[in-house]
Amino acid sequence: MESNAGTTETRSNVTVPDGGEVAAFESLQFTDEIHRLISAPGTDNASSFTALLELPATQVVELLHSPESVKLIVASAPNVEDFKGSFHFPSNTGLIQKDARFSVFSGEGNNKNEKSNSPEMTSKNSSANLEKAVKSEPAETVSSLPLVSDPTMENRNIKRKDREKKVKGSTKKSKTATNERLEDAEKLPYVHVRARRGQATDSHSLAERARREKINARMKLLQELVPGCNKISGTALVLDEIINHVQSLQRQVEFLSMRLATVNPRIDFNLDSLFTPESGSTMDGGNFPSLVTPLIWPDVQVNGYRKQFQHQWHFDTLKQPIWGREEVCNNYVTLENSLLSCDSSANSAATLHANQLKMEL
Amino acid sequence: MNNPHHLNPTSLKSRFTTRFLRALTKIRAQKPISSSSPTEIFRRYRRIKVAADKSMAYSVRSRRIWSRAMLWKLRSRSYRRQDPCSGRRSGKTNQAIMKKSSNENTTTRREDGVGFVEEADELRQLVPGGETMNLCNLLDETAHYIKCLTTQLFSPIGKG
Repeated sequence: MESNAGTTETRSNVTVPDGGEVAAFESLQFTDEIHRLISAPGTDNASSFTALLELPATQVVELLHSPESVKLIVASAPNVEDFKGSFHFPSNTGLIQKDARFSVFSGEGNNKNEKSNSPEMTSKNSSANLEKAVKSEPAETVSSLPLVSDPTMENRNIKRKDREKKVKGSTKKSKTATNERLEDAEKLPYVHVRARRGQATDSHSLAERARREKINARMKLLQELVPGCNKISGTALVLDEIINHVQSLQRQVEFLSMRLATVNPRIDFNLDSLFTPESGSTMDGGNFPSLVTPLIWPDVQVNGYRKQFQHQWHFDTLKQPIWGREEVCNNYVTLENSLLSCDSSANSAATLHANQLKMEL
Repeated sequence: MNNPHHLNPTSLKSRFTTRFLRALTKIRAQKPISSSSPTEIFRRYRRIKVAADKSMAYSVRSRRIWSRAMLWKLRSRSYRRQDPCSGRRSGKTNQAIMKKSSNENTTTRREDGVGFVEEADELRQLVPGGETMNLCNLLDETAHYIKCLTTQLFSPIGKG
């Protein structure tokens, strides 16, 4: 049959998507093919266009001409597996436009390149919304279909890539040609990197981009850890904030250990009574005062008791010397508070303490 | 009894607190009770600070790069203190020292392709063992290091 011949011709043309030699044929034959396909009654040939859509020819024409129903075209292409490149047809034919806006669509780049030149069989008022809708559709259909449109593409495609939609005319058509080949080929269990339109797509830049995304993810985590970093924009400033935070934390640890060193002599016996219950095995306890009564507790209870004792210790003994110091050095408080980022009064007291010690030394 | 602070007896906080308390008692037991001379206090401060770092590093073990680096540093420092002039150093300590010094000498600016190199270098100096990390690991380690520092500060030892 004539239509079958036409279809086979089309199929052979379309299934070899790579290589520019296909393109030349496409432009000449596609329009004829489409007409032939549409005119032919729905054949059982799986590769035929109308069979592809599973619709009678009349409806196909209607669909082609109605922009809103492009989604139907895309959705109703189940027997696409047989036809390697054909799943692109629904989207393509639905949205063929005069200029190069086609190039956004997935699939064989060369096919699309040429199909755009074919006279419009669809209405020319396909809007950007349509394109966007269809663009998302092929993405979904691709994921559901085990299609590999091109074995060479598969090799190159370590990461699946999409292109961001720009409705402006494709000024970078040459670059998008390479992009188109790589996109939507197959969803692999790898890191998925999104390549913007016009970006280089060799493996080096892919790796670079993956690294950058990892780094950005970690920066976000750090921003959450460091208080006050969420409002800052710009990674250099965020890093500065992180550096300041780490420095302040380290300084706080030093100050508090200084405080522990100074408060030390007053609370020996309390601590000792704390520790014999909890560490029965490791203490080289020759120096304990006689107040200590070794107790044998299970570990969980030990922790609980330790809490209680520590609370007492903390509030009774630790605060007293600090408060004594604070009375003396009130005039330093405001200065220290403005300098340091720590907000607890204990910390500022520790810094006062440290300053005093430094002065003494 | 509820444990408001130690929610988990094996959490980082409780491990650190246990070790640090033990170290503290050792330190306090060593010195005579009310020697409040500044030098004594200063020495004790240094010891407590080292004890804090050590307890923290031991609580994290070798799971993190910074904890391993910190343990190296502490061990090499203790070895150096013990045998200041002797040649009988362990091979590992020598290697550690050599590696550290070579890293610090030959650390060229890591131009990772992202813009912030000065800040990254500064961060490397802050985080122990940071010189040998690339930016990605550095950020990871920084996050864990910040978490551990805050654990130290808010442990119930009276530090926070």
